[in-house]
Amino acid sequence: MKAPSYAEGVLAGDRRSVARALTLVESRRPEDSLAAGELLARLWPASGRADRIAVSGPPGAGKSCFIEAIGLEAVEQGRKVAVLAIDPSSPRSGGSLMGDKTRMPRLSQSASALIRPSPAGDSVGGVAKRTREAITVMEAAGFDLVLIETVGVGQSEVAASQLSDLLLLLVLPGSGDGLQGIKRGVTELSDLFVVHKIDVQAEEAQRTARELEGALALLRPSQPPWKPRVLLASSVSGEGIQSVWEAISAHREATLPGREARRRAQQLYWFEQRLREQLWEEFTQRTEVKARMPELASAVRSGRISADQAVSQLLGECRGNKCL
Amino acid sequence: MREGTDRNPADGLEAWRRAAERELGRPLAQGERLLYTARDALDPGFPGQPPYLRGPRASMYAGRPWTIRQYAGFSTAEASNAFFRRSLAAGQTGLSVAFDLPTHRGYDSDHPRVAGDVGVAGVAIDAVSDMERLFAGIPLDQVSVSMTMNGAVLPVMAAFLVCAERQGVPWDQLSGTIQNDILKEFMVRNTYIYPPGPSLRIVGDVIAYLSERVPRFHPISISGYHLQEAGAGAALELGLTLADGLAYVQTALERGLQVDRFAPKLSFFFAIGMDFLGEIAKLRAARLLWSELMERFAPADPASKVLRTHCQTSGWSLTAQDPLNNVVRTTIEALAAVLGGTQSLHTNSYDEAIGLPTERSARIARNTQLILREEAGLREVIDPLGGSFYLEARTREIARQAREVIAEVESQGGMVRAIELGWPQRQVESAAARRQARIDRGEERIVGMNAFRSEDAEPLEVFSVDSSAVLGEQRRRLEELRRDRDGEAASSALSALSAAAEGGGNLLGHSVAAMRAGATLGEVSAALERVFGRHVAEARASGGVYGAAYQGDADFAALRRRLVGFAEQRGRRPRVLVAKLGQDGHDRGAKVIAAGFADLGFDVDLAPLFQTPAEVAKQAAENDVHAVGISSLAGGHLTLLPQLRAELDRLGAEDILVILGGVIPDRDHPALREAGVSLIFGPGTPILQAAKELLDLLEEA
Repeated sequence: MKAPSYAEGVLAGDRRSVARALTLVESRRPEDSLAAGELLARLWPASGRADRIAVSGPPGAGKSCFIEAIGLEAVEQGRKVAVLAIDPSSPRSGGSLMGDKTRMPRLSQSASALIRPSPAGDSVGGVAKRTREAITVMEAAGFDLVLIETVGVGQSEVAASQLSDLLLLLVLPGSGDGLQGIKRGVTELSDLFVVHKIDVQAEEAQRTARELEGALALLRPSQPPWKPRVLLASSVSGEGIQSVWEAISAHREATLPGREARRRAQQLYWFEQRLREQLWEEFTQRTEVKARMPELASAVRSGRISADQAVSQLLGECRGNKCL
Repeated sequence: MREGTDRNPADGLEAWRRAAERELGRPLAQGERLLYTARDALDPGFPGQPPYLRGPRASMYAGRPWTIRQYAGFSTAEASNAFFRRSLAAGQTGLSVAFDLPTHRGYDSDHPRVAGDVGVAGVAIDAVSDMERLFAGIPLDQVSVSMTMNGAVLPVMAAFLVCAERQGVPWDQLSGTIQNDILKEFMVRNTYIYPPGPSLRIVGDVIAYLSERVPRFHPISISGYHLQEAGAGAALELGLTLADGLAYVQTALERGLQVDRFAPKLSFFFAIGMDFLGEIAKLRAARLLWSELMERFAPADPASKVLRTHCQTSGWSLTAQDPLNNVVRTTIEALAAVLGGTQSLHTNSYDEAIGLPTERSARIARNTQLILREEAGLREVIDPLGGSFYLEARTREIARQAREVIAEVESQGGMVRAIELGWPQRQVESAAARRQARIDRGEERIVGMNAFRSEDAEPLEVFSVDSSAVLGEQRRRLEELRRDRDGEAASSALSALSAAAEGGGNLLGHSVAAMRAGATLGEVSAALERVFGRHVAEARASGGVYGAAYQGDADFAALRRRLVGFAEQRGRRPRVLVAKLGQDGHDRGAKVIAAGFADLGFDVDLAPLFQTPAEVAKQAAENDVHAVGISSLAGGHLTLLPQLRAELDRLGAEDILVILGGVIPDRDHPALREAGVSLIFGPGTPILQAAKELLDLLEEA
């Protein structure tokens, strides 16, 4: 694959070039990562101009349907919308079944939108890296709103929050008593809560919204001066979608002055995160380490030494023969 | 030694078991039942008496044989009319109309989305005048007419009623059936138009209107057929169908209708596959269960508890290989339907896995029934298999399993809720994937397809419709209609219809007024869509089931390794978009392929249903897949596939391959290859083989 030829196309907003550039940044082939790096370097100056919104929520919360509704609303407002959806891969076969576009039939046909589902594959860390790069490609192609649909359980919300300007959490009516259904850490990271599917369970939804509001009063806001809000919506009936869009716009207004600083902080987060991943990868690939790891692991498993002792021992040996 | 007659039956059974095990050279497995005895069978009672297990009527076929009702329709109304008249002259006793896909989905023939589908899988109906041509010279007070229509039930039923009016036939003389079963459309067949809520209201309106004004007409045909075709086994088909039936009874009762006003006119429709004895048992169990279930509504009229049914031999059981074998299959299935006590029957033509029936294949299908009726002595005795130890036990067993399905649906809050949750769909999809795996692995043998293949099967003459000619004709007539009608009358009738949709009032009554005033089918549908919206279903497929059946299979494992190798070499797994084009909603094949490929390790994108070639091309290009796999069953491929290839090229996606599977006659292959289709798979191609051939091509590229 040739990076420069895609770069021209991407910058000109050509969809096929965008699609192929995304394939290139997703590729796991070592020679492709060089080409991808080159491509991203060309695109970098043209990126950064979109609003980045991560949409999270438990399985079955209706994330895709919500993105269809809010994406169409954005298109109506004249925005160019990119959607990045990450689908789980089967741990058994490694393959995936991606039905995202069947849940976004109108947005996927809109001339102002591009939806790209991607298989998560086997590496959890890699997802975030490739998603960040995909955001760069989408922004360089002129999309001014990027919606990121996350697989949505536990740990991935931290990454989602570090990828986006706004983390929107979908909540199902009656999901647990109060906030027990939602992890506390996730609540603290979210900027907007949408109690979804209110067309099915209207009363339950009202109650869940009140409980959420009560709980939020006790939390420190994630992006002052913005105060997280709780809204009600149905993507099926369309009820509440416009209010959600208005809240998104209000959030943008309130946080735009601090956006650059937040994004720089995010870069710092990813710098450390990637460094940690990369160091681990390189360290564990070294011949000496590769040879010693199984032995130490089984010693830890059998209880002969503690985890800390094993680490000290491995690092000590490495320092001794200068492999660290 | 004692005489056999007075020895203890338990001793006899034990002696038999020992002898059988000796002959088999192995012990009988846990649960393996080779023999049923008097201990297994319950008394089935009498025909025409509750619980009606042996038949809905006391005299059964001695009084009146089953109706030979062949489902047909193609091209223009004139062409179908000529075919109907020849069939009636040749001994057929009832008509059954197949409509084309645009009609099913509520589009006029000149709608831009439907070009490739006009007149292909059935007859195109745009207005009352088409209906008049369809039934010209056919006395509607004498011939009963069944219409397979669900989504666009309002304009089609309305057109039929206005047509009768113009023939001078009073509505109370009309007999026949309208399918009007929308729930199974949401489960498997996908020819819905509006969301579930408004759709159920329409079902209720049709039942209310017809029970009052067209009393001899069956206002609904609650259908298991499509569930079996989509993969359900006998008990699942039966359970889900009866649960649908309960939902419709509930809908009608909520209208304030008295149960005895409509329940005697409810009718059912089942598929009859190759499990000969199981299918006979299923029909008997259906009557037993319905009579039991209807008790809860406390009907005064015993007729309210009687299940009457139409049956059709299984289209899915037909093979494209050695198609004359299908005559035998259809005969066995037809015999099961008759022994099960069906009220009417359609027998498939032997060439339907390849294309549309020809005049000759349709004649043989009809004759299959005539021979059973005239030559086989089946009318001389009622329920001749009644009392068979095995059949009685099997009848009760299927009833028991179906009761469990119904109980599960009810525990989820009824059928509408269960469909929203996706439970019935998942059951059917998993059953389809498991069956496919068994066939692909040769555990289930199908003669001529995966066993005893014949090398020199002669090519078959097939029939196909020139869609563009039909389209031209329909366009011309629509122009004429719009020019000649009183436009104001039509549009005010349509406004009244929209208002009724929003407020209240019987929608069939308003549709009759609109069609009478010269509105078209598409206009009536659009007037309703303005208020109700158009339903969009999420396409899903059940992963894991197909792969699980291949645990430990060497070929399967080898292919998985090849995919890993591909991913290492190319930086990603092979990625395929599985799609259907046009208005064909039969997606069993597409789902099974998608799930099977994902289980092998492909990255599979699913496209929404009812897409145009341009829409599918856009998704393929944006997802940057290696190949687009199209599943085509309704004959639109010659128009749609070349368009898809052209659209891909236009988007700069020349490198994306197009592959095709489904019912594709041999003689179309050269034109399709010419148009850039890289691989063509006929029905019965094992998934593993399709995957291998695709991978070969991708590795070359």
